[in-house]
Amino acid sequence: MNRFYIADTGLFVAMGQPSNSRYQAVRRFARQNDVTFVLPERVYEELTVDDPDVEDVPVDAAIDEGWAMVATPLEFSKPIVSRVMDGIQRYIANADDRPADEVERADAALAALAAQELCMGAATEVYIYTTDIAAGEGAETVLASEGYGDSVTFVNGFRFIEDLRSTGH
Amino acid sequence: MSRTSNRANGDIVRDFLSIADLLGETQLAQLYAYLARGSEATVQDVMDDLDLAQGTAYSYVNRLVDAGVVEVTDDEQPRRYAAREIDLTVTQAGDREYTITPALIDAVGRRETNADIDTYIDRHGVAGLATALTYAVARERGEVTHRLMADDLDISPLAAEMILQALRAVVHEHYDIEEAGASLEELDIDDISADDA
Repeated sequence: MNRFYIADTGLFVAMGQPSNSRYQAVRRFARQNDVTFVLPERVYEELTVDDPDVEDVPVDAAIDEGWAMVATPLEFSKPIVSRVMDGIQRYIANADDRPADEVERADAALAALAAQELCMGAATEVYIYTTDIAAGEGAETVLASEGYGDSVTFVNGFRFIEDLRSTGH
Repeated sequence: MSRTSNRANGDIVRDFLSIADLLGETQLAQLYAYLARGSEATVQDVMDDLDLAQGTAYSYVNRLVDAGVVEVTDDEQPRRYAAREIDLTVTQAGDREYTITPALIDAVGRRETNADIDTYIDRHGVAGLATALTYAVARERGEVTHRLMADDLDISPLAAEMILQALRAVVHEHYDIEEAGASLEELDIDDISADDA
């Protein structure tokens, strides 16, 4: 059974700096379970933006430490990747009553990456760690319609970190 | 305009101004949020829980009573105080509307202890924070993502995520929203050894 772990911006923001016990808990979880969090390119770009109003997020530290990496570009030539992108944009647009073309493609990139890994057989189970419930639930719903209902799990980034800490990680 | 409607207007303006005071002074906002969380409290409770000196606690409580947002629930000594529900909708020229709620006052009250909230108010004002809080509620309900908020408000997705996370505790304190997503147990990760850190 091959597991694939996708992480969104919110997970890294919620962990805080490497000196923070939340960061350390996630790192410990990753090392103990041989987990590498994979970030869609768009997510990595968001995390490394140069914005004077916000503190830097230590995503490069996690990459250097070997428990996070940036995904290769999505292969839009695979029909399922484009279908899932469109499906997620529709799902999120619908949740907020707005046109699908207004929905950011980065929201859909999480699920599209999951679809790509599953259809290539590179993974049999995919976990999506995000703090955007609409993106996580959308991914589960749209991938279920592609026949991958049992293979995708949305993990709420906040709940994940709280659980790790309450179980003493 | 009749005299009575003038008086009603005066009351509304008075309420509005006292609530504006609340939003302008972090410590008053903190105290209001504290009283709104519990059922009622004495000045001694306020001193103990918010770590205020007696004179300061009395002065703040009295200001909130004078402003009409806190009431005396028991006049026996020691007096007990409770927050009155605030739900004030302000409509700007045009059709922008915002609602001032205990959740917003609570959020403002946290600026002293939360650097992200403090920075956000510096950049976008209390009105901007009110907008962010609306997005924070919608996001916890699964209706919107940090990227949509960033697009709508023309800020970076990272800045949106930061303020949404900073406001999350306020949202869950004031709104009844069930937590979504799988728990650690449901993840069924085979073996998490106790401690090899």
